[in-house]
Amino acid sequence: MRRGNTTPGTPTSLREANRGRIVDAVKRFGGLTQVELAAATGLSTATVSTIVRELLDAGVVETHATSRSGRRAVKVTMARRLGLVAGVEVGPRALRVALGDLTLSVVADQTMPLPSDHRSDTTLDRAALLVVDLLDRVGAELDELLAIGLAMPGPVDSATGEVTVRGVLRGWDDLHVGQVLSKRLARPVHVDKDANLAALAEHDLGAAREHHDSVYVRVGHTTSAGLVLGDRLHRGYAGTAGEIGHVQVDPAGPVCRCGNRGCLDTVVGAQALLGSLRSSHGDLTLRDLIAHAGEGDPGCRRVVADAGRAVGEVVAGLVTVLNPQVVVVGGELARTGDVLLDPLRTAILTHAIPGRLAPVEVVPAALGDRAEVLGALALARQQTDVQHAHLLRHGHGDDALSGTGSGAGSGPRSGAGLGEGDDVGHPGTQRADGGAHESEAS
Amino acid sequence: MLSLRGIDKSFGPVVALEGVDLDVHAHEVVALVGDNAAGKSTLAKVVAGVLSPDAGLIEMAGRPVTIGSAAQARALGIATVFQELALCDNLDVVQNLFLGQELRRGRGLDEEAMEDRAREILRDLTSRIPSVRTPLAVLSAGQRQTVAIARTLLGSPRVVVLDEPTASLSVAQTAEVLTHIESLRNLGHGVILISHNMGDVRAVADRIEVLRHGRNNGSFPAAAVSYEEVVAAITGASRPRAVAG
Repeated sequence: MRRGNTTPGTPTSLREANRGRIVDAVKRFGGLTQVELAAATGLSTATVSTIVRELLDAGVVETHATSRSGRRAVKVTMARRLGLVAGVEVGPRALRVALGDLTLSVVADQTMPLPSDHRSDTTLDRAALLVVDLLDRVGAELDELLAIGLAMPGPVDSATGEVTVRGVLRGWDDLHVGQVLSKRLARPVHVDKDANLAALAEHDLGAAREHHDSVYVRVGHTTSAGLVLGDRLHRGYAGTAGEIGHVQVDPAGPVCRCGNRGCLDTVVGAQALLGSLRSSHGDLTLRDLIAHAGEGDPGCRRVVADAGRAVGEVVAGLVTVLNPQVVVVGGELARTGDVLLDPLRTAILTHAIPGRLAPVEVVPAALGDRAEVLGALALARQQTDVQHAHLLRHGHGDDALSGTGSGAGSGPRSGAGLGEGDDVGHPGTQRADGGAHESEAS
Repeated sequence: MLSLRGIDKSFGPVVALEGVDLDVHAHEVVALVGDNAAGKSTLAKVVAGVLSPDAGLIEMAGRPVTIGSAAQARALGIATVFQELALCDNLDVVQNLFLGQELRRGRGLDEEAMEDRAREILRDLTSRIPSVRTPLAVLSAGQRQTVAIARTLLGSPRVVVLDEPTASLSVAQTAEVLTHIESLRNLGHGVILISHNMGDVRAVADRIEVLRHGRNNGSFPAAAVSYEEVVAAITGASRPRAVAG
């Protein structure tokens, strides 16, 4: 929490360092009163008060009137004149909610462990309450929230948030996820698959920043991929693009949740990995497996390495077909580092078509386990930007937005989604953006 | 690590526990669930040394032990957070953590060492309490629970017992406490979690032990069991196959 001792230099450099401490503390805790800031930074209340006034003038922080144990106090938060966006990541075993400003810097976040096969109603209810709690933590009102991006652990229809493959998410079938959440919070909600959003985040901010074509591979409880082609996310017609977890690797293998046989997930999904360790290691959780592999347990390393090879063989097909410049590897198992990455890379380079130009790069995710939630924030911001852009450009006949001014009946896919769109105020604009992100070839 | 066998406890004519078995290993979260008056809190009090059982065997790391008092429990490495947290509102976080176990240097208190240790523990728990010198009265219910959990960690316990830690907390506070429970497990402690909330239990527990009318009524691996199976065991709709009648 505290920075190392600042070197006693000129008064200016000291002031700079103290300013940094205060900004760090405000970022870390979301919102603090001046008294709490003094305690958290070790600075005197007078110094805190002076610096807060400077930061206020510079537009870095904002102050709000609040009360602490019955006394009036001043709460200091980061400035967010332009409003906030929320990112929600629903994972198989955890829920993560983050609030960010429009520069995508996270002002507050909270993770919550979830039971396996958690119920959609309870989870979405908790997500909504967490958003409200986090807004409260940074002293913001619900109407400062511009939009919510929601990352789902399976293929979804980006217009409604409905899971498009039955059975892959137990208890979430036939549910318009975006609609449920936007009804609760009365804010626009935009939904996409977690791997797609992570791919978007890695492309915008992370390891694939320099590249136009990239594949993000998410290896965790299940396996999936997000495809960025020509700087655009490729979702496919029904949102199932990149579902490598359901590529068949063993025709006689066990039946998968999706109904097919021998899918990659039945070989490298968390259930399969933990099942193969049950006789030697007893009942482990995925986090135990990752921790043991990190500590050098040979059995756990072997299981992770074999999973890396199996995933790599499937991704190799994707690399041959799509020819991306980079494959970014993330998800829970990527925390084991080279234990997963080395065999995965070797399998890709062995099985993909050898190019005469540079071979595909296989790199770890730069954003780590924050990629999904940052992607959800980016999605929420992007949709908000588009809404503003649409207001500005309305009627100018921009190609990307063509058809939206005339209302619902634009593209074949667009029209279907629009009638049930979850967007509260701007159904047309939301469609426009959805169209802009889908590959035009589809 | 901690193992209880055939624990009986009666209060006059009321039988609270009857032949109850419970095991907790290092690096494991065991959830104790059951209806009101199923014996959960009584069992927790036996483990904490507040109540002594009428019959039964308690072993710690394979050695038979008697837990006659709360101090003895602490000495054995068992720390308990009860529903009523027993914190002092007028004292700050450090004073609460070290109440009755202050670090001394010479004749005075070693405030600096206590502050450092307090910060370290709160960081281990990934807590959001801004200052260790905040008075308790100012903290939210979730942050108080954090302080109570942090206090148990001072003695470097092997087993931590949490009695209804998420009752009456907001969702964000519940999220924090559940994250703390995961941290405790990651730090290698054994955790006994008593809770009514099946969602919370299934989110963090490794094993779920059901008590019904003071008896064991089923043991389930938390990752594989469904909500319905646990509820059936709690309400008595299903009985464990191994135990007769």
